[in-house]
Amino acid sequence: MKIKNIFKYVVVALLIVQLTACTSTEVEQKFDKTPTERLNAQKSELQEVLLTSPDGWKAVYFTDDKQLGGFTHLFKFTPDGKVEMASDFDATTTSKFTSEYDIQLGSTVSLVFTTKNRIHLLSDSSPQSNPTPALLGKGYLGDFQFLYYGQENGQLIFKANRTAGDGTSKEIRFVKATAQDWTDLPKNIDMIANVVGANTRPLFRLFETNDGTTTHQYDFTFATRSRFATANSIEAGSTATNNMGIAYTPTGIVVSPAVEVGGQKLTDFVYNSTDGSFTATGTNGVSASIKYSAKPLVLTDDYKNLVVGKPQMVFGYIAANLYTAPTNSSYFKTLVDKVNATLPANQSIARVQIVFNNVPNGTYIQYQFNGGKAQIVHWLTTTEDAVNKTIILNDDGWNTTAANYAFLKDIDNELTNSKGLYVKKETFRITFSNTIYTFTSAASNFRMTTYQL
Amino acid sequence: MKFVNKYKKIAVFVGVLALTACAHEDQPTESQLDYNQPAKTDLDKWIDANYLVPYNINAQYKWNQNTVDNTRYLFPPTIDKVQPALEIVKQIWLQSYATIGGADFVKKIAPREIVLVGGVNSNSNGTRTLGIAEGGQRITLFEVDNINKKNRAIVAEFIHTIQHEYVHILNQTKPFDEQAWGKITPSGYTATWHLETTAASRELGFITSYARSNVVEDFAETASIILISTKAEYAAILAGITSAKARADIQRKEAIVVQYFKDAFNMDFYALRDEAEKNTTYVINN
Repeated sequence: MKIKNIFKYVVVALLIVQLTACTSTEVEQKFDKTPTERLNAQKSELQEVLLTSPDGWKAVYFTDDKQLGGFTHLFKFTPDGKVEMASDFDATTTSKFTSEYDIQLGSTVSLVFTTKNRIHLLSDSSPQSNPTPALLGKGYLGDFQFLYYGQENGQLIFKANRTAGDGTSKEIRFVKATAQDWTDLPKNIDMIANVVGANTRPLFRLFETNDGTTTHQYDFTFATRSRFATANSIEAGSTATNNMGIAYTPTGIVVSPAVEVGGQKLTDFVYNSTDGSFTATGTNGVSASIKYSAKPLVLTDDYKNLVVGKPQMVFGYIAANLYTAPTNSSYFKTLVDKVNATLPANQSIARVQIVFNNVPNGTYIQYQFNGGKAQIVHWLTTTEDAVNKTIILNDDGWNTTAANYAFLKDIDNELTNSKGLYVKKETFRITFSNTIYTFTSAASNFRMTTYQL
Repeated sequence: MKFVNKYKKIAVFVGVLALTACAHEDQPTESQLDYNQPAKTDLDKWIDANYLVPYNINAQYKWNQNTVDNTRYLFPPTIDKVQPALEIVKQIWLQSYATIGGADFVKKIAPREIVLVGGVNSNSNGTRTLGIAEGGQRITLFEVDNINKKNRAIVAEFIHTIQHEYVHILNQTKPFDEQAWGKITPSGYTATWHLETTAASRELGFITSYARSNVVEDFAETASIILISTKAEYAAILAGITSAKARADIQRKEAIVVQYFKDAFNMDFYALRDEAEKNTTYVINN
């Protein structure tokens, strides 16, 4: 082949490469804007929308509704990068406080509260700030950098930066706040006492669901610091639970996760100041409520060991060890205090001891005192109330004159009330290895904690 | 030669085509990135005037997730606490070193960034981390929200943290003789230093319990405790130690510290201590 021809082919080949190399640099565009443009658009969208609500935004922030409740925050953003904030973290945080915020562009657009304000209280890891022992050094697991996920029905959707990667991560929704929200925020704090429960209410509490036809009952225990309630089914053989994080509102509570009843999700509970209950109502008769009960949720047969004909059993309330027992009702302690107030300064109740079925003395209550005062005995007979599962203590005379025991009358009347006492063998211990029994009046808020002696 | 000429022309043609072929592509337009300077508050201007301009140090108080450990539960400082904290740092640390080490000393060997964190940095063993020095470049100071300039104990703890972390920065710049140091009290180092009392640690030849965590911390603790104590206070610490050997061991460590400052930076360590003391008193009284 001639060198000329080789050169020809080479030139032609080169020309082909040259002429085709730049033909198509276009790839199919999934979006009509570049990623940078879209991020920038989202950033300015968030910046603008934060300023649009005249009274700012409200967010109920549940940091982890498997172990903690929610905290209501109000935000008012201003164009100069400042934010006024209030929260129902505690009674001191419901007033406005100003700090700085920023819209930051990272892997996505996020709203960051860049200097300290109320919301940062949820990220305080100081040892005295942990809501539960398990959260030592972690505070309330809070975050204050929120990744922006867009808008829905006028609400802004965020996820906490800290947990956004978890599959279980929950949305944090900013809804438009009203002037009323700001003025009513302290009412959230007032609601706390209603969830904690009052001494004046009946002693027992339960959580009850109703799907329109059947009801299910759960016990109900609320931890104030973590704002978390545990509710376990009281039905035999059932392991159902309805644990929930609680956030306060001026009129009741909001729970997360939602309580599912009859396929409906209930979250908003309204407080009823008459009976102290909180109720969430769905449609078609579906409801859930937290309410009080004068009767124990589960009646035990422990009283049966105390009826006539059984061997002797002795139970003692020992003031030195049991006055502070959490199972004493405050009404019981009030009555003890009352008795002590009538005694000289060096004297006080040492023991209230109930002896059942002693041979030969039968059943009686011994009131024993510190400071050298002689014991006073109230002789009794007993009756069983098999329907209500109580034991009733009936008067059978005293070892002293009426004038001498008059100061014991109030406390004695509770122990010998005509509806009787619920008896429960508890599973916990206090100071000693003795079994703990509680005696609860079926007629009032009276509950006494005793050792089995 | 004829065909060469012919192909010369073609080659020129091809060359022109090659150089102009893609000329129709869009020229880059203005950047999409927002490079506007954020508006500066009075505090930002104060930081510029007192840290950035004179020392080339960036004092960062606004939250930036990239400069903190996101597995910890931390939060940024309350804005009113930032300037007092930085004033303490400037007066007691920067100015003391500038006076003794020369005006340019901290400009050359300083962290380029001071990060302020408002909250507590809790560790799983129940202890708190008060400060972190990273790569000779950045010092993070925690618990800024607790600052109270009128409380000497709080100021002293805060300054202790800065002095301690800065000694790390110095060590990260010029290493000290770790082997010689490690031979003085080789058996006293322990991972469970937080369970030890200061008194017991001193009887073993360590200035604090934290000094027992490792040689590097031992050096930083020895230096920083001397720096935050007056001459008399430090003498009292030594006098309070029963074991003559422990006292001698601490003094041997002290000697290494003094020599290190002399050899590495040509600085009189005791003059530095006196200057820091003077500045500490000034901060608390003003």
